[in-house]
Amino acid sequence: MASEPAPGKAVDRPLSPHLQIWRWTPAMAASITHRATGIALYSGTILFALWAFAAAQGEAFFAPVGRVLASPAGILVLFGYTWALIFHSLNGLRHLYWDMGRGLDVKTATMTAWYAFAASAILAIVVVATGVAARGA
Amino acid sequence: MTHKGTASFIVLRASSALLFPLVIWFLAGAVAHADASYGEMRIWLGAPLNAAPMGLLIVIGAFHMRLGMDEIIDDYAQGGFRGVWKLLNLFACLGAAMLGVWSLYVLSA
Repeated sequence: MASEPAPGKAVDRPLSPHLQIWRWTPAMAASITHRATGIALYSGTILFALWAFAAAQGEAFFAPVGRVLASPAGILVLFGYTWALIFHSLNGLRHLYWDMGRGLDVKTATMTAWYAFAASAILAIVVVATGVAARGA
Repeated sequence: MTHKGTASFIVLRASSALLFPLVIWFLAGAVAHADASYGEMRIWLGAPLNAAPMGLLIVIGAFHMRLGMDEIIDDYAQGGFRGVWKLLNLFACLGAAMLGVWSLYVLSA
């Protein structure tokens, strides 16, 4: 038994089980990835806005960023942003579908989670590969 | 945003529905202009049919970013700092929108 807390001190209640406790399921992974990609897109979009601002200052600021983005590290960043954008968009469709009161049963939610992961990976590879090929040609 | 739960719920979802086609348009445009020079990029942005969706993407995107991050702050930030985080979030999203709109205004001219 926990002893009585001192007056004015917060009660040290147990926290609910978290990521390390639950067995991972596709729907749960998609939910966490939705939030993680949202945070990644938040920071990525602020960087993108800063780049746009630099580009608006003139070509001297535009060209160097283009060279960095064409490097392997730059392409990795572009792929990460593209995949996050596509996953968050596709998983957003799942949320809109749920908001209509559909697709909430475990079997359907699990299946659509797999679809969001697989389709976003394939589409991101296609988008980035097409862009890289266009630039290289 | 106390007492505005329903409004932010609806606006977050309405903005996501509007963003979906804009994101498809943006990715298609970005891929099609991956090899564009500075001048070609400005010509593309200068066309009204490209500048208009880009402007919508910036403004609705910033709105969506703000509401989404507010939801995360509500989940994790306890105590008095919650309002501070939300204010910082508002400033960050307003700043991103401002940079984006101003850059679009300059580059599409």
